[in-house]
Amino acid sequence: MHTLIIKDLCVEIENKQILKDFNLQINSGEIHAIMGPNGTGKSTLSKVIMGDPTYKVTKGSIMYDGKELINMSVDERARLGIFLGMQLPLDIEGVTNADFLRTAVHQKLGNEFKLFDFIKDIEKTYDKLSLNRNMIHRGVNVGFSGGERKKNEIVQMYMLKPSMVMLDEIDSGLDVDSLKIVGDSVMDYYGVEKPGILLITHYQRLLDYIKPDYVHIMMNGHIVKSGDASLVKYIEENGYGNIDEKKVSSIGSCVIKENIADE
Amino acid sequence: MNKIIIVNDEIKEKTVDDNIKLELLEKNILFDVNSLKFKVLKDTSLIIEYDSTEKTKLDLFFDVDKDVNFNIYEIRKGIETKVQYKYYLQANSNTNVFKFYYGDRIRELDIINLNGIDAKINYNFKTISSKHQKYDMMIYHNYKNTYSNIYNRGLNIEDGELVFNVTSIVDNGKVDCVINQNNRIINMNNRKCKINPNLLIEENDVEANHSALIGKFSDEELFYLQSRGITKEDAQALLVKGFLLSGLEGEFKEIVENIIDNRR
Repeated sequence: MHTLIIKDLCVEIENKQILKDFNLQINSGEIHAIMGPNGTGKSTLSKVIMGDPTYKVTKGSIMYDGKELINMSVDERARLGIFLGMQLPLDIEGVTNADFLRTAVHQKLGNEFKLFDFIKDIEKTYDKLSLNRNMIHRGVNVGFSGGERKKNEIVQMYMLKPSMVMLDEIDSGLDVDSLKIVGDSVMDYYGVEKPGILLITHYQRLLDYIKPDYVHIMMNGHIVKSGDASLVKYIEENGYGNIDEKKVSSIGSCVIKENIADE
Repeated sequence: MNKIIIVNDEIKEKTVDDNIKLELLEKNILFDVNSLKFKVLKDTSLIIEYDSTEKTKLDLFFDVDKDVNFNIYEIRKGIETKVQYKYYLQANSNTNVFKFYYGDRIRELDIINLNGIDAKINYNFKTISSKHQKYDMMIYHNYKNTYSNIYNRGLNIEDGELVFNVTSIVDNGKVDCVINQNNRIINMNNRKCKINPNLLIEENDVEANHSALIGKFSDEELFYLQSRGITKEDAQALLVKGFLLSGLEGEFKEIVENIIDNRR
């Protein structure tokens, strides 16, 4: 059982506050979806959990399995089992997908790393995501379409076997068929490994494949409403304009500070 | 494959077939320079291994016949070299140059003459600069429909200072030429690095592109690699390797990769 607990998290960049007293708990086996208007801090949240040094944490804590992450480096967090599928995966000239993942998997497994198993796994995963095996030996995301980049993020998730998965707008840039492949692949992984999952998305369509246990609406740097999957339908029909930021609600294992204070 | 091993200004070993005519020209007494001339007659490749154990000067001339495909693979190391290359590329010839240097002090002048219709050069150059290195390249499009693609990559480390001066020249009337310059230096110290990309073009009907960038590896790239559990040190090593291996293939890529791994 793995647990990510974010408590009273405040984050700023260039003196502008992005996250304000943000609270959330995700346990293994739970799927959380975060939705919200553009510029509300959703992607910032995922990057801060991963340790992006661009952002400054001014208050609060991020605990994973009882360990404070805030002073840990990005790679230490990743080796604890945290994974971020990025909204805009970079292309890196000259570094092949094979070299990149071999280095990453080797660092995770240490002496248990076996090259033959690695090759079998990466080929199987490329097949699963309907990516051409030749792409394994191309530069990381170099010449990849938007959809192929997103699939490549899922390949990396499969290869690294994280226990806490964050997927930041993994549905953007995907056509209908690719969305199904990615959605099904994430759920297949979930079925086997039972990680905690944090999805950041704007659209219902991804949630047709990846069914969230909890849906959170984020505005102005914190969660303003939480509910089950029915909340997505409500947002689709009514937009974010009708969400009253002051009337905060929570369900399940979500920790929302305002509610705790109300009690 | 043809191969020559040069130490200082002398050929120590050579394996050259009939596709290349190699000539040692008379020493220039005034400048104290030895000269080697390669006349390339048929499709072929040449490996050059060049080491300098002392301060060395050398001139190399490559005359590539019309309709010939020619590949040069060069590895250079050593203390101090001052080398001049002159390329004379005839009609419909295609020359691919792959160079990897990891010497200390280097001054080099490359003069590329595209002398016939459809003459092409792809120039892929990588260097690790740990002292002072300066490269002056002149690319003359002396005929219409000629093509040059110059791809320079320098990694500046330790006490390195690195300069790329790259000048492409097209006179009036030399229509339909294609010129690409892509120069990049990763500066791992705070010493002086400079790129001067020049396009001296008098003809309107040409396609010319250039990009020049001096900087460090980006924080975004490091974050991406580290987010997969790779330590910062290993992430940087991967980026260095990728930077220096980009565009290389096959056996030459493996040789360069081994050199990079051994230097780490």
